[in-house]
Amino acid sequence: MSAEPRPVEDGKGGLPPVLDVDPFTEEVLADPYPFHEHLRELAPVVELARYGIYAVGRHDEVQTVMSDHERFMAAAGTGLYDLRKPGAWRSRSPLLECDPPDHTRMRMALTRIISPVVVRKWRADFETEAQRVVDRIIDMREIDAVRDVAEAFVLTVFPASLGVDIPHENAVAIGDMNFNAIGPNNDIFQRSLRKVEPILEWYQQSFQRESMIEGGFGQRIYEAEDAGELPVDSAPGLVRSFIRGGMDTTIAGIGFALNQLARNPAQWAKLHDDPALVKSAFEEAIRHESPSQTQFRTVVRNTVLGGMQLVADRKVAIFMGAANRDKRKWERPEEFDISRRTTGVHLAFGWGAHQCIGQMIARMEAEVILSALARRVRRIELSGTPTYRLINTLRTLECLPLRVEPV
Amino acid sequence: MPKVTFINPDESRVELDVPVGQSLMRAATAAGIDGIVGDCGGGLTCATCHVLVQEEFLPDTPPVTPNEDQMLDFTAMGRHPTSRLSCQLVMTEALDGLVVRIADPQL
Repeated sequence: MSAEPRPVEDGKGGLPPVLDVDPFTEEVLADPYPFHEHLRELAPVVELARYGIYAVGRHDEVQTVMSDHERFMAAAGTGLYDLRKPGAWRSRSPLLECDPPDHTRMRMALTRIISPVVVRKWRADFETEAQRVVDRIIDMREIDAVRDVAEAFVLTVFPASLGVDIPHENAVAIGDMNFNAIGPNNDIFQRSLRKVEPILEWYQQSFQRESMIEGGFGQRIYEAEDAGELPVDSAPGLVRSFIRGGMDTTIAGIGFALNQLARNPAQWAKLHDDPALVKSAFEEAIRHESPSQTQFRTVVRNTVLGGMQLVADRKVAIFMGAANRDKRKWERPEEFDISRRTTGVHLAFGWGAHQCIGQMIARMEAEVILSALARRVRRIELSGTPTYRLINTLRTLECLPLRVEPV
Repeated sequence: MPKVTFINPDESRVELDVPVGQSLMRAATAAGIDGIVGDCGGGLTCATCHVLVQEEFLPDTPPVTPNEDQMLDFTAMGRHPTSRLSCQLVMTEALDGLVVRIADPQL
C-alpha cells in the first residue's frame, strides 16, 4: 500500500525458463541458500516444472507480486494449491485470502483492535515476563535459546495478549502443520499432520468464542463481529490466523538474532553497551534469515513481469527469504550486520495490503526480550551446533545451544 | 530537485533534495534522520513516520486516505490538525520548499 507509484509493464515478454528443482525437500529446506541463488540468477521469473507454477526470488519482483493485487491475487489462496479448484483441502483465511476492497474493511477493523496504541500498553507486562525469562537463564548458564528464551517468552506473552490458552508443546506441533500446509502436500506435511492428529480437536476448540479469555484481543475480535464491524462468522478464522501467524515467526526471528549475535561477539558487545540497537539487530536478523520464507499469489490475467510472459490462473511462489539476500538490493547480503539500514526495506513481513498485521507486536516482543538479555549478559557463545526444524514454508531453529556469561 | 525541510524535535533543521515521486519517509530514513522511524516501509501499519505539515503547504498535499486517517489516530504523540504520515507524502514540484516538523515520540 505504499503511496509511491509502481512501474507498469505492458506488451509481450519472453517465456520464463524452467527450473527443475523441488524447493520443498528436506535437502533444500536444510540449506535453502543455493536454491535461492539459482532462482535469483536464472531469471526474474522462473517456472518450477515440478509444480507447474512460477517462482520469483529477486527483491523487485517479490515486492511487485506481493503488492500488485490487480495482477496477483490472494483470493485464490496464499498457499500452493488453488482454493477455487475442487478438492481444496485447506480452509480459507478470512483476512489473508481475499483482496481489496473486501480485504480493506476487515484489515481496518482488525488494525483498530491491535493498533499501535493498544500494543504499546502491553509493554510493561512483556518486560515483566522478559525479566523472569532472563533471571532463569542466568541461573542456568548453559541453555537452549530456542526453548529457554524464544519459546519461553513468545509462547507466554503472545497467547496472553490474544487471550487463548495454548500449551507450549501444542504450539510447536500446530506451527509445523500450518506452515507445511502452505506448501505442497508432501511427506513433510503428512508427517506433521500425523503429529497433530491427537490434538486437532483441542486446536479447533482453541479459537472458538467460548475459549477466549477475558481481556484478550481475541475476545475483541468476537465483539467486533457482533457489532457488525467484521463479516458474520469470520471471528473464529481470524483468531486462528493470529494463532498461526503470531508465534512461530517471532520465535524464529528471536532465535536467528541470537544465533547471529553469538557468532559475532563484537556486535553483541555493541548491544550490551547500547541496548537501543536491538531494534535494528532484529530487523537485520529477519532480513538475513527470513522466518516466513515462501508465500503464493495467483496470476489474475495474462501479464508481463520482469520481461517474462505470465499466463492467467497460474500460481506464483514468492521466495521472501531469497529476496532478502538479493545482491541487486543488498551489499554483502549473506553477512549479518546490525549497522545496516534494513528497517522498512526488507520483505520479511511481506509487502502491500497483506503486510504482516502483527508486525508491531513482533517488534516489541523481540525488542523487549533481546534488550533484557543485552543489559544483563556480557557474552553469549555457541556451545553446540544449532539445528533447524524443516518446514515447507517456515525457516526456524529447532535448538540453539548457548553459554551465557552474565554481567 | 524539490527541497524539503525537516524540523527535528530539538529544533535543528535538515534540508533534503527529494526526487519527485519519492515519499518524505523514504527520503528521511535514507538520509539517516532518526526521528522518522518508518518501521513498516510505507504499509500503513506502524504510524512511526508522523509529521506536522506547515499550514500553507496543506492544500498541495495529497488527500488523506481512510487507512492513513485511521493510523493517524494511533500515533504515539497524538494527532494534530496538520498531522500526516510522511510515507504518504509523495514529492511533487508543487511541494518544493515544504517544511515539516517531526513528531516526538514516534514509538
